[in-house]
Amino acid sequence: MNSLTNSSPDTESTIRPGSYYGNGIPYLPIDGYPGKIIAIEGTDGVGRSTQIRLLREWLEVQGYGVIETGWTRSELMQPTIELAKASNTLNKLTFVLLYATDFADRLEKEIIPALKAGFIVLSDRYVYTAMARAGVRSVDRTWMRNLYGFAIAPHLVFYLKIDEKTLIRRVLAARGMDFWESGMDMKLGDDIYESFRAYQRSLLREYTSMADEFGFRVLDAKRKVEVIQDELRRQIGAFLAESDTSAQPTTS
Amino acid sequence: MTFSLLHATDFADRLLYNIVPPLKAGMIVLADRYAYTAFARDAARGVDRRWVRELYSFAVKPDLAVYFKVPIEVSTDRLMARRVKLKFYEAGLDMGWSANAIESFRIFQGKVLDEYDRLVEEFGLSVVNAVGSITDQQRTFRKLVSQHLEIEEVDEQLDEQLA
Repeated sequence: MNSLTNSSPDTESTIRPGSYYGNGIPYLPIDGYPGKIIAIEGTDGVGRSTQIRLLREWLEVQGYGVIETGWTRSELMQPTIELAKASNTLNKLTFVLLYATDFADRLEKEIIPALKAGFIVLSDRYVYTAMARAGVRSVDRTWMRNLYGFAIAPHLVFYLKIDEKTLIRRVLAARGMDFWESGMDMKLGDDIYESFRAYQRSLLREYTSMADEFGFRVLDAKRKVEVIQDELRRQIGAFLAESDTSAQPTTS
Repeated sequence: MTFSLLHATDFADRLLYNIVPPLKAGMIVLADRYAYTAFARDAARGVDRRWVRELYSFAVKPDLAVYFKVPIEVSTDRLMARRVKLKFYEAGLDMGWSANAIESFRIFQGKVLDEYDRLVEEFGLSVVNAVGSITDQQRTFRKLVSQHLEIEEVDEQLDEQLA
């Protein structure tokens, strides 16, 4: 069976923060929107949500408008995704496409309007999570990158990096391992612990391989919450100070 | 975008469950609309053409793709004659081109038809003139299929069935 169209890589172009990765959404031009996207990436159990909560508070105190967005949180798709996960009829392709639909919905309904209005969008995970999960499941890399060509390159991407051992302990201590987080759909083995370990290890490899490609700022997630938060605030503060200065009109 | 991706998800699900298994078993799959519908409809809605094509690169290339072509006036007349109430998305009312369903349908389907013309060339679709009678169309259609499957033409059988 031949494929209908050929997936060819998009013409190599440099990533511009705040612009679409690929050709984007032709009917939604976003050039010159004042808002910023800050994405926090990392596997399960690295403390993303804690860091985001603290960041939000800190940003709001300084007078910034902040919205949060997170994976599979779109109003349109969340129930469908939960249902599909529960019914075990998903295969890797439909899984990938459901995630992309959820993302597209949040992009159009939440992220782009917020950027237009000058908000800071704190994204709990971003398209890299989809790419990592798809990569582990051997979905074609070029196809995935083309698929997310409608996504906007964030202004900052922080990757909370953790090692496999620490991760396992944290997840077990917090809530135990679940079916999807353990990659049980991949049939790596019957033992959920072994499956979780193998799955998370390949996920970590995928994230690492994307760090250069997408310009992640890598933070060691083994450190204390406050230490990581300080580092985030330092880098975000510097970035915002710089863009505030450059956004000042030159003449009054 | 969400519209486009939801349809792609549905298509992927049908492809993997309903299309690929019978193909592997050597059966003939008759698909009422295929990815070309998405190419035409999504592009008419302003989605990037190349992106949609890349999106559907997981689709199996059909052995034969037939496009039943009618001018916009004919399709509108047919729908009106049946007094069909136009569906919201079918009429492209989501695009806000016109508040009048029929007018909006005309604008939207006009764009869709333009896209199909593009597809005929790009993907080598076989065109059947769908203005003619059903019998004529079926005759042309069977000819196309039988050529493709290298089976003998069975015009008499058709005449019997349609009699």
